[in-house]
Amino acid sequence: MASTSDNSAVGMPQLDFSTFPNQIFWLVVFCVVLFAIVKLFIIPRMEDIFANRRKIIDGNIAKAEEIRLRVSEIEKLIEEELQKAKSQCDEIMNTSGNNIKEQMALALEDSKIATAQLINEAEGRLKELRDGSEAAIEKMSEELASEIINRISKGR
Amino acid sequence: MEKQSAFNIHPMDQFIIDPILTGESLEWYSFTNQALWMLISLVSISFVFIYGSRKHQLVPGRLQSIAELLYFFIRDMIIDIAGQEGLRYFPYIFTLFILILFGNVLGLLPYSFTYTSHIAVTGFLALSVFIAVTIIGFVKNGLRFLNLFWISSAPLTLRPILLIIEVISYFVRPVSHSIRLAGNMMAGHAVIKVFAGFAGALGLGAIAPIFAITAVYGLEMLVVVIQAYVFTILTCVYLNDALHPGH
Repeated sequence: MASTSDNSAVGMPQLDFSTFPNQIFWLVVFCVVLFAIVKLFIIPRMEDIFANRRKIIDGNIAKAEEIRLRVSEIEKLIEEELQKAKSQCDEIMNTSGNNIKEQMALALEDSKIATAQLINEAEGRLKELRDGSEAAIEKMSEELASEIINRISKGR
Repeated sequence: MEKQSAFNIHPMDQFIIDPILTGESLEWYSFTNQALWMLISLVSISFVFIYGSRKHQLVPGRLQSIAELLYFFIRDMIIDIAGQEGLRYFPYIFTLFILILFGNVLGLLPYSFTYTSHIAVTGFLALSVFIAVTIIGFVKNGLRFLNLFWISSAPLTLRPILLIIEVISYFVRPVSHSIRLAGNMMAGHAVIKVFAGFAGALGLGAIAPIFAITAVYGLEMLVVVIQAYVFTILTCVYLNDALHPGH
């Protein structure tokens, strides 16, 4: 049907059965060679690349998981410490509050006593002063009276 | 040879098997243009897959990306369709895929020869898939492989009719499998050649034919990849039938 030389094709060259043995021969040859290339070079190489990548990714994931675990552990520790500190703080606050109250009460008592004392003292002194002043006035009026009498008697 | 008249278009000339080394006669061993392009595709495959990924990069470069993309695309496809057992046949299916893909893609180069446009090539590939799948089916499942034709989910009265249909469709598989690929390749290239012939005849004013060539070429870029994909996915489907017969 179709020519094998430089003439143009008559009908479809695909249906020229005289070329089939040649085509199939070369196809088989190249298929076998290509299969050998695939089997010997391409697949080992690709699987190697893939396995390497997988390994690194898995390693990274494992490392990340480890770090995550440690972080959560640390977080737990921090939480615990925080809780402890909080309770301690509460305790301190409670005890110090009580102390302050007690001391305040004591101080109040003290100051009451002290003020009472002071008031007493002041009253005593006031009384003293009053007594003192009465005596002084008496004395002064006596002196004044004798002076007046002196003047009057002198003037006459 | 095309100088006899202006409208002398020979769209089928590009498919002629030409013994380029020995000259006139075509023997079964003559090195032809077809064999040359098989050799070129072999070299291209080696270039992409061996040279391109020679550094075993963790983060792939351009060529290695292409190689990995193709490799894992087929690998995942087999696992998706035929399951993990299908992975045993991965080297064969992958060989088939890259042989067809590179043949198709290289065939789009001007002056190249598309070996996948030949029914002898695709027919041989499809027939070997057919025979291999049938053997695998019987070896793996014994006579239970025949359940593929006896559809137990259908009503009993329909089963004999379905049996005939299934048997016919089973034996038509290699035909449709091979003609689909060769036909697509041949038609696209012939159409481009016809428009190219128009462009040659019209000379400088050939805007419409050149536009048409560009459009068809763009379409063909899709078709060559899709046809390689279709051939491979059908192979996987047939393999799945052989591994897990019974619908």
